Amino acid sequence: MPLIVGLAGAASAEKIRIALAETPSDELAAFFVALERAKAKGLEYEWTAFSDEELAIQAVLSGQMDIGFGTPYAVMQRAKAPIRIIFQLSKLRFFPVTTKDYTRLEDLNGVPILLHSRGGGTDAIANVIEDRLGIKFGERSYVPGSANRVVALLSGQAVATIIDLANKNKLMREHGDKFNVLPMFDVDASDEALFANLDWIKANEKAVDIFVEALLSVWRDMNDDPTVIARETNPDGPIGQLPKEILDGLDDFYREAVEGGLYDRDGGGRKAARADLEWYSLAGQLQGDPSELKIEDFWYFEPLDRAIAKLGG
Amino acid sequence: MPSRSLLLKLASAVIFFGAWEIAGRIPVSYAFPTFIESMEALGRMALDGTLVRAYAETLRPLAIGVAISALLGIAIGLWIGLTEWFDWLFSPIFVVMQAAPLAALIPLLVMVYGIGLTSKVFVVCIMAMPVIVLNTAGAVRNTPHSLKEMGRAFLGSRRDIILKIIIPSASPIIFSGLRLGISAGFIGAILAELKITPTGVGDIITFSRSIADYASMYSAIFSIIALAVIFLNLLEKLERTLFEGNVRGYASD
Repeated sequence: MPLIVGLAGAASAEKIRIALAETPSDELAAFFVALERAKAKGLEYEWTAFSDEELAIQAVLSGQMDIGFGTPYAVMQRAKAPIRIIFQLSKLRFFPVTTKDYTRLEDLNGVPILLHSRGGGTDAIANVIEDRLGIKFGERSYVPGSANRVVALLSGQAVATIIDLANKNKLMREHGDKFNVLPMFDVDASDEALFANLDWIKANEKAVDIFVEALLSVWRDMNDDPTVIARETNPDGPIGQLPKEILDGLDDFYREAVEGGLYDRDGGGRKAARADLEWYSLAGQLQGDPSELKIEDFWYFEPLDRAIAKLGG
Repeated sequence: MPSRSLLLKLASAVIFFGAWEIAGRIPVSYAFPTFIESMEALGRMALDGTLVRAYAETLRPLAIGVAISALLGIAIGLWIGLTEWFDWLFSPIFVVMQAAPLAALIPLLVMVYGIGLTSKVFVVCIMAMPVIVLNTAGAVRNTPHSLKEMGRAFLGSRRDIILKIIIPSASPIIFSGLRLGISAGFIGAILAELKITPTGVGDIITFSRSIADYASMYSAIFSIIALAVIFLNLLEKLERTLFEGNVRGYASD
């Protein structure tokens, strides 16, 4: 057991420390609404924004943070770290976007494509597309960040890429005449999930329950009515402080995201865990036959099960 | 009988790698491999050709950037040191370049030069060039006045004075600038590969980190440091060959 975990464990009993994988933005508005609801029920928290997911994972591994953002499947399997996922925040909803020269995924046989990173989510999407359609993309180049890939697409440095929902919508609104979004199958695997050290979860059961219950209630309300996010955003909180244009766009952002099926109303759970194992095996993050991997080795379902039982199925 | 300095070097390597091994065995973190695991990963990547392919990619911006920085840097540095108006014109640029928070400026470079080789060469140059230029200029400007006067007293031409007095006299500082600049260039090459597009060694680092293969990640970092150390040692040898008698203790061995 690493030394640091032991030292940090004692100090973390009161306030839970959340490691965000990015700075607060419209994408995190729903998460902060859930934090506000949890706070109203007595949860004390503080958050730190890391510049990328890997750093958030490392901070949770070393015990400097309690709950992190990301999908640390490889860390759980290879480094045998005792961390578990407790809630699926969003699904991998990504969209193949190309210049007007292509209209179907099949057309991309041999075409170079721009992806996020080797072994990452979009790389896995590309693998699955190749697998299902029997095609082979041309050279894969990697540019982290959907917004940066859009820039590359606009400047003509790429003809095909895979980007997230928000950037796809923005691109098509502004340059819809130049690009096509190719139709693609649905994916249930997680893009972002919440995870924590298993010992910490068990030692802080009450706080985790409040938190997961708040998340579940927001995720459900949001699926019923996406405008709840803008209405419940605390004007003095980190999201409330964002520029007015972003705040004005919250309703559209969440309406499109909910329509796009980005948020599971049951927090993912076993269905998401199973989909993740298959998905991240294809991505090269997990090794071994996915059907032999046990979801319990990667997820801890009790807080979510209790929350669903309490809020109704 | 090996020399004392070699023995000291070996001792410091044993202490450092020993500490690494112990830290990995405790372990200080789940994400920290032992020294032996890392060396195994290094051996594996060297044998299956991963490292060779990665370095073929990484060395391109590195070599181009370091070559440009060294040649152009020394030339500009000499010029700045020799002419006052040029000093006024150009020194501030390099002082700004040296102080600029490069990682934060990378998006700007990408905007202007795209995601290809050019941006990466720029990052290497921005890291490497300022210290080479400023060291060279400083050394040239501070050539002992009496030496130059002696040159003129012996009827040396301006060319003679520059080639036979100023450059040899400035060589220790020029070379220490080169050493600092080139090691900064190595940092720049990896920074570019981590921040712009992951290719070569940067790709090994990001990919193995994303699949939690920390032994490979640290072995890739280790390999680039080792390469930098070897290169800097070769540079010291070059300095001793070119300017024997002028080394004045900067180049240790």
